[in-house]
Amino acid sequence: MQDFFIRYPRVWRAFDILLPFLATLAALGVGAVLLMVFDANPIVAYGALLDGAFGSTNAVADTLVKATPLLLVALGICIAFRGGVINIGGEGQLVLGAVTATLVGLALPDMSGYLLIPIALIVGFLAGGFWGAIPGLLKAYFNVNEILSTIMMNAIAVQGMNYLLRGPMIDPVQLDAASRIPQTARLSAAFDLPRLVPTRLHLGTALAVIAAFLVFIFLWRTVVGYRIRAVGLNASASRYAGINVPRNIVLAIALSGAFCGLAGAIQVYGLHHRMFTDGSATGFTGSAGFNGIVVALFGQLHPLGAIPASFLFGALIVGANKLQRVMQVPSSFIIALNGLVVVFVVSADYWRRRIARRREAEVVSEEIATSEAEVPT
Amino acid sequence: MDSSPLVLTLASIILASTPLIIAVCGEILTERSGIVNLSLDGTMLMSAMTGFVVAFETDNVWLGFLGAMGVGAFFAFIVAFGSIRLRQSQFAIGFVLTLLGDDLSAFLGQNYTRIPGPVVQHYAIPILKDIPIIGPIFFNQNVIVYFAYILVFVTWFWLFRTQPGLRLRSAGDRPEAGFARGVGINFQRYLYTIIGGGLVGVAGASYSLNIKIGWAEGLTRGFGWIALAIVIFGGWSPIRGMFGALLFGATKALATYLQRTFPEVSVVAFNAIPWVLMILVLLLVGSDFTERVITVAPKSLRRPLQRFLKISPPQALGSTFVED
Repeated sequence: MQDFFIRYPRVWRAFDILLPFLATLAALGVGAVLLMVFDANPIVAYGALLDGAFGSTNAVADTLVKATPLLLVALGICIAFRGGVINIGGEGQLVLGAVTATLVGLALPDMSGYLLIPIALIVGFLAGGFWGAIPGLLKAYFNVNEILSTIMMNAIAVQGMNYLLRGPMIDPVQLDAASRIPQTARLSAAFDLPRLVPTRLHLGTALAVIAAFLVFIFLWRTVVGYRIRAVGLNASASRYAGINVPRNIVLAIALSGAFCGLAGAIQVYGLHHRMFTDGSATGFTGSAGFNGIVVALFGQLHPLGAIPASFLFGALIVGANKLQRVMQVPSSFIIALNGLVVVFVVSADYWRRRIARRREAEVVSEEIATSEAEVPT
Repeated sequence: MDSSPLVLTLASIILASTPLIIAVCGEILTERSGIVNLSLDGTMLMSAMTGFVVAFETDNVWLGFLGAMGVGAFFAFIVAFGSIRLRQSQFAIGFVLTLLGDDLSAFLGQNYTRIPGPVVQHYAIPILKDIPIIGPIFFNQNVIVYFAYILVFVTWFWLFRTQPGLRLRSAGDRPEAGFARGVGINFQRYLYTIIGGGLVGVAGASYSLNIKIGWAEGLTRGFGWIALAIVIFGGWSPIRGMFGALLFGATKALATYLQRTFPEVSVVAFNAIPWVLMILVLLLVGSDFTERVITVAPKSLRRPLQRFLKISPPQALGSTFVED
């Protein structure tokens, strides 16, 4: 098999692009075995999954809506990982962006939507960036491990959110009704992000795709982006080249947090139109802060690769709901399936690199052979 | 006196800290060999679930612990295999396993949630338990608690006072030098990652079989991350790690106590205390603050202080080693 690919590079190149999707199919195959263990017909189950994700205009729109926060978080993760920092604080940054953006909307109910929505999104962006900058500063100047500090910042953000939503920000209606569901009042309808087609699909999805292109340009076509990538590739070499390493570390993780914050703000203004909590972060975020990391890895840490990756994961999550309803299997099955997909994609990537290495070695040895043949003349 | 609230609180702190102590010892063994097993949170959930299910089905607590140990070792093996053989990022694998463990445990354990099951029997050590104050705090517990304290000592002794321990540390600190001396670096890493994972499994099961008895979705969520933070706080030393775990248990108990005393202050403030404290601790440990403390200390105290406060991770932590 390997030799075949080495001999036919063109087939290989096509295969190379398809590899993540083939790996996904393989993971679904393993998932089918799991389904059979639970006495469910895998063909019917996957049919339901596809139908739930793509079966109608509404289904496709829901998939795109689900993919939007995943894409934005993945963009942030791309920046952080390219800068050599691991940002696991997406959940907390998302929550902070959502809470602050909601506060803006609640505080200025009479403002024009054209003015308020951009302000709110920018506030969410900045708030997420602020929450990301704290672990960034701790890492760059005090050598605090960012994986642990971001996890703790998540926990603190969740506690803060619970406090605000149960106390100062709670919907007055809930306060009177004595049911006290921890959620804010619905934001003024003037602040809803415009719908694109008559479905739940909103402008945020388009914004996310535009952001993906902007992040690509930022990382590969600007000096600042170049510096971030240089620090990520080799911090000590960057220092010798005169790049301010700590500052770029802080910048990378702050930008990363900012995109997560933007994701939170867009979730509020595009989808929920209010902020709510079930006591943990997952209730509001749907684990987008974590799943975005998986999406970014799936897209090979490239902003443009994150677009199809987020779409695929959005489809898996939306399809899962349908699959769960039809087959009566728990939705956590699908999240386990996501894990399988990642494991397969990562190992396929390993295999790909090994073939690439061997091809390189053969090309080099051929060149040596030809150059040796030329020596006698 | 022996049943005064203070003594009971201290005893409960000791009990609540045991799983963390066991997990910290396991992770220290792993990280000292040069591998970061980031999957702790997911591994603990999976092993807590497995431990309870096995113990419930066989009606034998110890088989539950054995099963949990196997699950922990298996997760650790994936991390070791992925980073050594497949040369993937340890952090990525560990993180994905964290998510996978969380969801898989919820999925596989769904039929076993919130039902009573077997628990570790209380066992007071005969004579020692009658020592005033100390007895009821330390010796009126159960076998898992005693195991944790023996484990701390054994881990410390193994790491710093034996030859295999030296080989283990060479794999994490100077793999090239160790390899030149004939140490199979990657064998050491496989071995101690798997042993460490097994101990994390025991820690997970001691939640579901000893402390938070029973299984529920997300039973131990968060504790794995705390254990990882304590490993750093403890400077990769089992004894300091133990104090870190006890300190964390104490802050939690203090938060609960304060909450009862000041009901008008929001619960949230107290829930956030342990996390804020952890960040501050990481900050103190990471910055050169400790160095400055040492320089102002009186001369005679400097050396012991330096030995106590100095923290440096195993130098080859998280890097891959190619044997050739």
